[in-house]
Amino acid sequence: MTLEENITVIKVRNVLMVAMPAEPGDLTVSTMQEQVLRAMEKYEARGLVLDISLVDTVDSFFARTIAETAQMVALLGGLTVISGMRPSVAITVTQLGLTLGNALTALNVDRALDLLMDIAERS
Amino acid sequence: MAAEEQGEVKIHVEGDIVAVRKVVRSVATQMGFGITDVTRIVTAASELARNIFLYAGSGIMEWHVLRLKGRSGIELSFIDLGPGIPNVSLVMQEGYTTSGGLGMGLPGSKRLMDELDVWSEIGKGTTVTIRKWKKA
Repeated sequence: MTLEENITVIKVRNVLMVAMPAEPGDLTVSTMQEQVLRAMEKYEARGLVLDISLVDTVDSFFARTIAETAQMVALLGGLTVISGMRPSVAITVTQLGLTLGNALTALNVDRALDLLMDIAERS
Repeated sequence: MAAEEQGEVKIHVEGDIVAVRKVVRSVATQMGFGITDVTRIVTAASELARNIFLYAGSGIMEWHVLRLKGRSGIELSFIDLGPGIPNVSLVMQEGYTTSGGLGMGLPGSKRLMDELDVWSEIGKGTTVTIRKWKKA
């Protein structure tokens, strides 16, 4: 039996951060979405950084959940940045014809935070 | 040391999709596929394992190492005894979906692999087989 992992959402200044564990199963992916929405409500954050640098495989379920989550975050007034996507994952996601909705992307967590702070400053 | 040349993974619960990914990743990596090809193969396997779970409830994935004219390849067969696919050519079309946007991922999986074959009979079941060959 596979043990699904807990998802921790932390708040850094006004931004939520989640680090996806390696090889996330469907339950872990769905839990991420739930936890993000709860945290958005609780902290009134202006954005989410979802780090997937440990993730080897992004299939259609994960991609769809990311896109949905980004949409929900947007409805709550926030912006989503996906950080740390591996090149092999980027190639595969593109070839599968998947999109990440309105989520932005950044090479790593530092750049993701810079991006969110940048955008927040201008608005 | 002789490596395993075939095996199978039962697909009964959602958690088995991760089990499929782990086994396929291990086999493909041991066969010497590059990281990008390993990712393609694992992702296609994930999509097809998920299809079994979504449409048939349960099934099995069989994997084989193929050897042909000095080249090696990986073959994965996703077998279920589910309802079958009424119109295979329809589901092979881009964008066709029956489960509220989830889609069958067949065209996408075909793009990720070298070969994709579908056998299906209404009321009997479906077998989707995919293959990828290592570059010589």
